[in-house]
Amino acid sequence: MAAGGKMKQNIHTPEGVRDIWGKEYAERLVVTERIRDVFHRYGYQDIRTPSFEFFDVFSREKGSAASRELFKFFDRDGETMVLRPDMTPSIARFAARESEEELPLRLSYIENMFINRPHLQGRLKEFTQAGAELLDDGSADADAEILALTIECLLAAGLTEFQLEVGHVGFLQGLFEQAGLSSEVEEAVCGLLEKKNYFGVEEQLARCKVGEEYIQLFTGLSELAGSAAQLEAAASLNLGDRAGEATRRLLSVYRLLCYYGLERYVSFDLGMVGGYRYYNGMIFRGYTYGTGEPVATGGRYDNLMEQFGRKAQAVGFAVIVDSVMAALSRQKIAVEIPHPQALILYVESQAEEAIRYSRCLRAAGERVRLQRIDRTPGERVKAAYRYYAAGQDFEKLILFTQSGVEEAEL
Amino acid sequence: MRYLTFALAKGRLAGKAMDLLARLGVSCEEFYEPDTRRLIFTDEKNGFRFFLAKASDVPTYVEYGAADIGIVGRDTILEEGRRIYEVLDLEMGKCRMCVCGPESSRELLQRRQLIRVATKYPVIAKDYFYNRRQQTVEIIKLNGSVELAPLVGLSEVIVDIVETGTTLRENGLSVLEEICPLSARMVVNEVSMKMENERIKTLIRRLREQIRSERI
Repeated sequence: MAAGGKMKQNIHTPEGVRDIWGKEYAERLVVTERIRDVFHRYGYQDIRTPSFEFFDVFSREKGSAASRELFKFFDRDGETMVLRPDMTPSIARFAARESEEELPLRLSYIENMFINRPHLQGRLKEFTQAGAELLDDGSADADAEILALTIECLLAAGLTEFQLEVGHVGFLQGLFEQAGLSSEVEEAVCGLLEKKNYFGVEEQLARCKVGEEYIQLFTGLSELAGSAAQLEAAASLNLGDRAGEATRRLLSVYRLLCYYGLERYVSFDLGMVGGYRYYNGMIFRGYTYGTGEPVATGGRYDNLMEQFGRKAQAVGFAVIVDSVMAALSRQKIAVEIPHPQALILYVESQAEEAIRYSRCLRAAGERVRLQRIDRTPGERVKAAYRYYAAGQDFEKLILFTQSGVEEAEL
Repeated sequence: MRYLTFALAKGRLAGKAMDLLARLGVSCEEFYEPDTRRLIFTDEKNGFRFFLAKASDVPTYVEYGAADIGIVGRDTILEEGRRIYEVLDLEMGKCRMCVCGPESSRELLQRRQLIRVATKYPVIAKDYFYNRRQQTVEIIKLNGSVELAPLVGLSEVIVDIVETGTTLRENGLSVLEEICPLSARMVVNEVSMKMENERIKTLIRRLREQIRSERI
């Protein structure tokens, strides 16, 4: 250190993480509480798992994030630890330990996740997900319940214009089997389909001499996206057992969703490619205006728990709370937050009355902020206090001074 | 109606793309006004909005949803590696991404010696040499006039776009290997593709038909 130089203190946060407080945090809490309420109304139990776990839990086959995007560190024994990038593997690990209960497990959470993203992307590395998992249930009813739950969470958050796009991993896999593609070509085609690059798919398939009928089929996948009618159309085509099964499954999920009365929020895309490696059945993403990315993702993962030692079918989803908050603000949807009611200021000699009075208000459930001031304010200072209190959304300002009690509605 | 926002890569490509859209009935006279200082151009009839951006920023605007649609070269798409939909080959601005250098470098390439590669496209170069050729190289990122590098001994070869090859020939360089063909692409934001599905799908279909009819 140079003589007389003070060490420079970092008071800003590192890139990708931030402080959230005040009105913004109040709004976020209102939204997450509404979502938690939906979870409870569907009979889900809250679960909390550790923020970090052994690397194995989030390794390649199980994970949702690439290894280099995980925050890793070592514990004292030299074991590699990972800050969780998503909750599903942790819950699968937990549930694998539980002996099978008589009825399926329904678990929900609102927790922070961590992804070590590349620099200068303007993306958060710590973000909040609200999600739920339905374990030990392989039925279409479970799929429909998870879709309904996702929709109700987004509605409860205050969004009205959004769409869930639903697909099925088995559909493309069925087509790949049917067409007899090698695994390299399959991967290449998957990559192109993920980018909706149908002309690229056409080139790729033509290059490896795939039959014309399959080229037509793969490039026509964009036409198999849309309403349930498109799904019916796909079901009537003869696409092989696996693809047919996937289509029929989605149709029964759709029928069940109609009973919930929520079918207008979903559309289908059979050409959809599963984001995470562990998905094996229905997959979906939620989209709304004002964010460039999905606000919700989910799907069925019947093979994940087996990797933790117990075979069980499961389905789940997560809403990205940070994206939902961004969408609400960009769509100018207001979130009602509870206001503080009274700001009470007092001078030293009036301490007893002021404290007793605020105790009464607080006991009655009011939100009261109590503050001692040094001297009885003059008119100008009073006006400044009123201005401050109004700016903080207080309903009234109460002054306890030697000359008595003054109350001003704001 | 919400505006559909287009990010166009500045330069010749933007003009060509606007001409193509004009043939589909998109009228945006503001765009053709000489010396305009305007940053955003609108076509009220169709509800389209256009802005010009540096080519390498177009995928970024589209990924984050600041633009619904982008028009940009495939070179930039590959280099930026953004999460965007690549929905249409506009079949304009056709060229190739190549490994170029003096003839003397050809042997170095084939013998898989450790060589230096100068390029504006380090991601594409790295992918080509590491993943496709399984060859270790030293990549040197430059920001322009890449042809200079082998002439002054900064590198043995370059990875760059080749259109006619005139610049290369004038400097005693030639194409040693072709990496991939390039052309202009229409890219779409993931959320826009869903939320504005009908409008974007119609636009893609009409553009595809227009491009096909002009091809013959």
